Amino acid sequence: MTAAEIREQLAELREAGVKLRRRPARETHASLARALELWASPDSSWRRRLEQELPGATGFSRENVREGLARGLAPFRGEAWLALVRAELGDPARLDAAQGSMLSGFDATAVVLAGSIPQPTLLALLSPLALRSPVLAKPASRDPVTAGLVAESIAEVDPELGRCIAIARFGSGDEACLRALLEADCVAATGSDASIAALAARVLPKQRLIASGHRLSLAALGPEALRGDALAAAAEAIALDAALWDQQGCLSPLVVYAVGSDREAPDRLAEALARALASLERRLPRGQLEAAAAAAFRQECDGAELRAAAGGGVRLLGGPAQRYAVVREADSAPRPAPLNRFLRVSPVENPEELLASIRPLAAHLAGVALAGFGRDLDRVARGLADLGASRLCPPGELQSPPLAWHHEGRPVLLPFARFTDREAPM
Amino acid sequence: MTRGADPARSELDARVLAWMREPEWRDDPARFEALALELFAFQWERCQPYRRFCERRGARPATITSWQEIPAVPTGAFKELELRSFPTERSAHVFRTSGTSSAARGALHLDTLALYEASLLPSFARHLLPDLAAGERAPILVLAPSPAEVPDSSLSHMFGVLLRERGTSESGFFLRGGALEVDALLAAIERASASTSALVLCGTAFAFVFLLDELARRGRSLALPRSARIMETGGFKGRSRELGQGELYAELEARLGVPAARIVNQYGMTELASQFHDSVLRLPAEPRRKLGPPWTRVALLDPVGGGPAPEQAVGQIVVIDLANTGSVLALQTADLGRRVADGFHVLGREPGAEARGCSIAADELLAGADA
Repeated sequence: MTAAEIREQLAELREAGVKLRRRPARETHASLARALELWASPDSSWRRRLEQELPGATGFSRENVREGLARGLAPFRGEAWLALVRAELGDPARLDAAQGSMLSGFDATAVVLAGSIPQPTLLALLSPLALRSPVLAKPASRDPVTAGLVAESIAEVDPELGRCIAIARFGSGDEACLRALLEADCVAATGSDASIAALAARVLPKQRLIASGHRLSLAALGPEALRGDALAAAAEAIALDAALWDQQGCLSPLVVYAVGSDREAPDRLAEALARALASLERRLPRGQLEAAAAAAFRQECDGAELRAAAGGGVRLLGGPAQRYAVVREADSAPRPAPLNRFLRVSPVENPEELLASIRPLAAHLAGVALAGFGRDLDRVARGLADLGASRLCPPGELQSPPLAWHHEGRPVLLPFARFTDREAPM
Repeated sequence: MTRGADPARSELDARVLAWMREPEWRDDPARFEALALELFAFQWERCQPYRRFCERRGARPATITSWQEIPAVPTGAFKELELRSFPTERSAHVFRTSGTSSAARGALHLDTLALYEASLLPSFARHLLPDLAAGERAPILVLAPSPAEVPDSSLSHMFGVLLRERGTSESGFFLRGGALEVDALLAAIERASASTSALVLCGTAFAFVFLLDELARRGRSLALPRSARIMETGGFKGRSRELGQGELYAELEARLGVPAARIVNQYGMTELASQFHDSVLRLPAEPRRKLGPPWTRVALLDPVGGGPAPEQAVGQIVVIDLANTGSVLALQTADLGRRVADGFHVLGREPGAEARGCSIAADELLAGADA
């Protein structure tokens, strides 16, 4: 697309938005709920197309995509969408009303997508539409498929609403096109800290920027989850959380903390995680690695092997040939995360040490899977909330966040809203 | 026991030093092989973590028959372990990798700087001063801090040695306290441009970007003498706007008047005593590629399978450096490269390259941990 075409598209979208706002907001919400139902249903043609096209476009294995979508989209139901709308926006009539606390969306929202995991893309496209703000989306270079399919599915459900969403395809380095895209009244962007900072520098104060940065997730097991059957179950669940989307998601755990004074627990946990990841490699094979990712994975594995050889309690289970790695660390210092099914097991003595170990990562923290803390659970949960974690859940649930999850620690729809408070009497 | 060069290695060091001091570079595979195997045996004996790492892989002096089989240590390991082949008491100098927290910085312990210094001088002379007579001095203006300011920086130490051995009196350092001293640098460039010697501008890529941005802010462009040359090294590490190499060289040409054909990238790292340089200045008619001294070898590893990368394929760079006598001679980097004739290209990470997902990448995570 050229910059002129993007400006033209934005103008058309703004016009379509005016028409859309003549309809009751409730109709738009119902259409979006129906569209979500299509995506939540494994048998819908849209799901099948995504399952078919995503592996080739992103490098994930077919099995991983199928399982990831099944788990990730299960909570994305129409009813959950309507509940989210009610919870955050209240009565949809506020979008149509001329009295009281009124709600509006922006005339147009530019959505800059990143990464290759479909669920965040789906939600990023639907959220501005809930406020009846038309969407012009730039697909992620890593996923040229999902955004277009979502737009088509909305048009199928509701052609008028479908005219309020369009896709702008242009190269990452095309400055003129980016400038044109960023003329939208609201800009929602996902990306690394550096990409977000670069975009933020171009957005004017009169515009609204809704940024979602890269995040990391963790798991922590208390003493009750570090023995017997509970250990095996927790390890299998965490391995699944890491294997889905090959640890590329912001909800993929990178480190598993073994909390307590049992000196052998971290070894048992590392062994159980390695067994679970080996088994998952057969059921949900890891995707193809690009050279840089493979080099980073190998570098960390070889480094762990050297540290293991040096003694001190470090162990490496798996490795590049096994297509997963678990490193039993001797301490809880932050270390690089090469992703692609590379888990570190870090021992910590107690909940206080756990929170202290996580503190250096707090700025980027998203989810933490927790199990086995017994009476300490509330203390750990409160501590993690204070550090900035936006989601706490049991192991195995990290990749199935509810639709209403406060991603980035903020509401889902409200950031796209503009409020008008009409004071009475007038 | 005293600090300083380990006498147990003096004979090996002397043989490597003798090679470095020969006036002509001569590739000598047999000599390299023999020295590499002897050095491996020496380090296997004396560096316990390395020995145990090799043993896990079934590699011992008796089983290794060529330099290609010597197990390479990942550079990241220097952040966690002291990989020394001499007793602690002999440690005379420590170079640290860049980073903002001590936990995330690697350390190279040295008992002597002799090999480090002997290796860098002929490489620099060959690739940056090919038109100068042996020992002839040149004004070397450095866009990096001096070794007095950062004594644990191997890069600053290298520049210090270059100034000491090959710099004229106009030479100096122009990055102090993290800030580029632009006025002093411009004055020095003017003075050096008036002299008959070839002006050499050296520094980190991000320092050159600082200079370019400042010149742009002042609306100034310089026209350096035709004999001027630039050596840039290191990445950006988030300290300036990031540019691809092509963009950086185009801006350097536009703002300083030094064409890309006279800009040499140096590939080196704290953990390595030797450096690799672009061939352009010495071999202007040939394709740009990195060349190293004959006491080094570069192998490319298939990062997925682990064996040698197929010809022409992208591979993970492994360096065997005979100048690393006091640490470990075989290093596996995290960089990717591709063979070009008798040298190689380093494939830089494209600025703005998008991640596959929304999980944080390795360096971003540690940058967060440092904050």
